[in-house]
Amino acid sequence: MKYFVGIDIGSTSIKISIIDEKKNLIGSKTSASGSMFYKYAQETLDLLLKELEISPKDVVYTVSTGYGRKLYKEADENISEITANAIGARASAKEFGEIKTIINIGGQDSKAISLDNDGNVTNFAMNDRCAAGTGKFLDVVALKLEMGVDELGEKHFKAKGTPLGVSSTCAVFAESEIIGLLGNNHSVEDIVCGVHYSIAKRIVKLVKRVGVKEGIYFDGGPALNEGLVNAIENELGKRVFIPKFPQVTTSYGAAIMGVDSFLYDQN
Amino acid sequence: MTSKFKHDIESPLQKQNRHKAMEAIRIINTLKDDFKNPIESMNYFYKLFEDVFCNQKSLHDGKLKVGTMCIQIPSEIIYALDAVPIRLCNGFYSDDEIGSDYMPQKSCPLVRSTVGHFASGNFSDKPHLIYSPTTCDQKTKAGVTIESFGYEVVDVDFPRVKDSEISREYFRRSIREFAIDLSKKTGNKLNKKSLKQSIAKIGYAQSLYHKLCEYRKKKNIVISGNDMFFVTNAFFFDKIDSWIDACENLLKECKQREDENLFVNGKISPRIVYTGSPPIFPNYKVPIVIEESDGIIVADETCSSNRMFNDRVAVDEWFVNDMLDSMADKYLKACTCPIFTKNDDRIRRIIDLVKTYSADGVVYQSFAGCTVYEAEQRSVLEAMEKEGIPILYIESDYSPSQGGQLTTRVEAFIESLKTRKRIKK
Repeated sequence: MKYFVGIDIGSTSIKISIIDEKKNLIGSKTSASGSMFYKYAQETLDLLLKELEISPKDVVYTVSTGYGRKLYKEADENISEITANAIGARASAKEFGEIKTIINIGGQDSKAISLDNDGNVTNFAMNDRCAAGTGKFLDVVALKLEMGVDELGEKHFKAKGTPLGVSSTCAVFAESEIIGLLGNNHSVEDIVCGVHYSIAKRIVKLVKRVGVKEGIYFDGGPALNEGLVNAIENELGKRVFIPKFPQVTTSYGAAIMGVDSFLYDQN
Repeated sequence: MTSKFKHDIESPLQKQNRHKAMEAIRIINTLKDDFKNPIESMNYFYKLFEDVFCNQKSLHDGKLKVGTMCIQIPSEIIYALDAVPIRLCNGFYSDDEIGSDYMPQKSCPLVRSTVGHFASGNFSDKPHLIYSPTTCDQKTKAGVTIESFGYEVVDVDFPRVKDSEISREYFRRSIREFAIDLSKKTGNKLNKKSLKQSIAKIGYAQSLYHKLCEYRKKKNIVISGNDMFFVTNAFFFDKIDSWIDACENLLKECKQREDENLFVNGKISPRIVYTGSPPIFPNYKVPIVIEESDGIIVADETCSSNRMFNDRVAVDEWFVNDMLDSMADKYLKACTCPIFTKNDDRIRRIIDLVKTYSADGVVYQSFAGCTVYEAEQRSVLEAMEKEGIPILYIESDYSPSQGGQLTTRVEAFIESLKTRKRIKK
């Protein structure tokens, strides 16, 4: 049996997906990028192979993607996360229907990708200037409010008053804005809800730049935050589709690219 | 992914209301929470704004609501005909974004957001018809755009020169026409008694404003400039009787606070006269930065506050047509809008305010795209320089992201005024 690996080395975490020749997802694993992301990537891959009882010899093609893609020397090929994301989203959303628009929020950037009917990337927009509207922004907020980032979603739905917006686009200044709101006895729930809407508004602006087309797919770690999903849906006025494992779409896409490249090389 | 929480998607209307509520609550909370010695009677106004802009509460159900653009449409006539005036000038960035699709990109945010408000049609109190004085080009053209959304917009001829006898006659006729038109539309006849009563009521409301301003002339100040903008902005849409009651309460508390030595200014807080494009809720960007930087706005020359209340209707004959003429005179001659040419009156008014309120400096804000304020800043700056009055000119808009640079400029200006004060001492 031949296996294909996609490794997505992001700013915050490493995501690895393993697929078979028929492009079925066999397994995936994530770990923090940390200070030695190359070593961690290698260890995570070894661990995943062990768990899945796959011999490293059976891995025939590896594709790396993400910010750290060029630093993973073992890869047979590396591709940009835009391409990988588009391929992964289309493949993992088969049950959902045609994907036309992708929203991806990563640790340090956010993207909106527009696809044509054949699934080719026709346009994309990125907000990579700072941490505004990214996963890092949510981390900063959660840290300030003394809760886990995974608790934010629940708090969102408990908001009672008007969501208290945070207008600072800078994560550092947003932190002091949150301190101000807390100091004035505003509820954590209303603050969290406001933060989600502030991020959602920024993301939707990005999406509008590439055009909002039905069939919207939202992935990246922050897609696990249902509060943020709710805010984005409200801002778009449309439902978005969230895959089962939104963190690994891009590495899954990289692995699929591996199959195609491998078969192309063979012929 | 299966959802753990129940969430429905908002309708476009709900979404827009949330956007506005988020903008509104932010400013209300800032005023409630971020300044020292808050005034209790201001809570009426905070709640009013929250009710109208966060909870979309209607205040005037069952009445004919007459929308007015600018301040040259006499409310006295509208009240006398048993209708309610609602000033349509808007301060919401969310509406500005909608309005940008209908007005030129270079037009001013106030006009864009007013048009945006009509484009969405989402009002707490929707006006039945609109009277638009032909003031600046942008407002005039906005009327045409608003009409295209299916509203009835009546232009009220307004001259660009106010010193001549011709324009005085012109506007007197214009006001008579307006009174006849509204009379037809309301089905009520304008009579001496009701007109006299409404002149008296508006005059009384103005007197309350002037009494509040008396407190701002003193060395120590009991009410902040931002709170005063809340009060005057509320006059745009509140029930007049409730507004009067609330101002009476505010006056009582001001007196009490003075007795208790509860002041909003610090020892050396520079006293500021604010002029230029009007702060209209919730766009209090510049006034808030001024007062957060330890400046105190003691007076203003804007159409959302002082210019609206400054002069009263002076009647010498109590017949309907005479009263109408007196109103026309007040709304034309006393107005210091920058659309006029020539406009020495505005400069005179600003200098007068600086002297009467012992101000240390002037902040002049012009909305980007507001040509008349942009054009007039030069002559105002020169005049202030001649008088030795420090002035800061700022260009801004409704976007929430201007923060840092704006704050630095205002802070530096306030600090320079403080240094002057220290040296003087």
